[in-house]
Amino acid sequence: MAETSTAQQMMDQEMIARIGRRDQDAFSTLYARLSGPLYSLAMKMLGDSAEAQDALQDVFLQIWSRAGTYDSDQSSVFSWAVLLTRSRVIDRLRARGRRLRIVAGPTEEEEHGGTTDASIVESAADTAEKSDETARVRYVLTNLPSEQREAIEMAFFEHLTHHEIAARLEQPLGTIKARIRRGLLKLRERLRT
Amino acid sequence: MISEEQQDQAALYILGLLEPHEAAAFESELDANAELRDIAREFSEAAGAMALTAPSRTPPASLKQQIMREIGAKTEERTVVPLRRAPVGWVPWAIAAGLAVFCGLLVLDRVRLERQLADIRAADPLMQTTFFTLAPSAPAPVDSKATVAWQPGRQSGVIRISNLPAPQPGKDYQLWAVDAEHKDPISAGVVRVDKNGVAQIRFKPVEKAEHVKAFAISLEREGGVPKKEGPILLVGTT
Repeated sequence: MAETSTAQQMMDQEMIARIGRRDQDAFSTLYARLSGPLYSLAMKMLGDSAEAQDALQDVFLQIWSRAGTYDSDQSSVFSWAVLLTRSRVIDRLRARGRRLRIVAGPTEEEEHGGTTDASIVESAADTAEKSDETARVRYVLTNLPSEQREAIEMAFFEHLTHHEIAARLEQPLGTIKARIRRGLLKLRERLRT
Repeated sequence: MISEEQQDQAALYILGLLEPHEAAAFESELDANAELRDIAREFSEAAGAMALTAPSRTPPASLKQQIMREIGAKTEERTVVPLRRAPVGWVPWAIAAGLAVFCGLLVLDRVRLERQLADIRAADPLMQTTFFTLAPSAPAPVDSKATVAWQPGRQSGVIRISNLPAPQPGKDYQLWAVDAEHKDPISAGVVRVDKNGVAQIRFKPVEKAEHVKAFAISLEREGGVPKKEGPILLVGTT
């Protein structure tokens, strides 16, 4: 993940390399690690579990067929998979020509009474680590200057263009571009520390 | 040193907010600039982390089973029946020696063919032509399309458009060449369709375009503009 240790990134890269050699066990391991965050992202953007599942299926089939094209110089495996998911979700939203719905629905724990899916087998340590990472990213994002956070969230989750964000917030285009740039830089810098 | 403008472009590129021609131009800039690649990677990691701020959900177990079945089926499709092992020790060596000779002949043949192809290309204008297929972008009708036959040597081409309705009064369609060595798309002139949404026009870009990566059609003010302003309707690479 973007904020995970180098060791975790190396493990992800090893999984991708093995998937490139058609190793189904490696695929299963990577699925267990990534499906939760990717599904959560698809749900937030699509607001529909059936569509989110379709999108997730598309993404993992792409990971299976395109593992050989993954370039570790361009991004971590986690970021690659996130951007792939976002791209598939946006394709779906465009194809259906409907307005984007942002769903601030119940969390997994609220929805399932704290139970987790049986297909995802994680150790207690993994779960704790993931919770820590998630909490940290949320903390860092929450503590960005509000105008930067707002611009990034509108671009990332709502897929509004910089032109649309500028119009909605009634700000000059250059200001919006700068807010996105500064926000992303700050996010990255704070996640590293 | 990366300028703020380049950083802005990198952030927009990672978030998928650039127009297709802008993205193509940015990608060629990325190819040539290691520092820019570093900043793009930083933005990519920051954007990746954004996914963790979505409310936590878990996909159903049945989805994993379904995906595993699908990849299993794909793997079976690709499985090749292995060759039977040769029963005698010297046979593999004989086969290897034969293959080595055969590969040598193939290399010689390839060199000869490449020379012949280069001669043919030099002599035949059609062989010097690159074809681009332009597909509709969001505002254009889904069945609209265009094909460009581009001759870099002559710096001219022909575009054929179909199913693109005439623009509203006061507007024109304009063709652009996206060249790896130019920051902005190069105008290749206004293109006008007939009442059936069809056009076949010969064009020449206003500036030399030696490394064209894509062509695009945008909706602009009547008579065209020197620098692209309007939305891209059709865009495509080779």
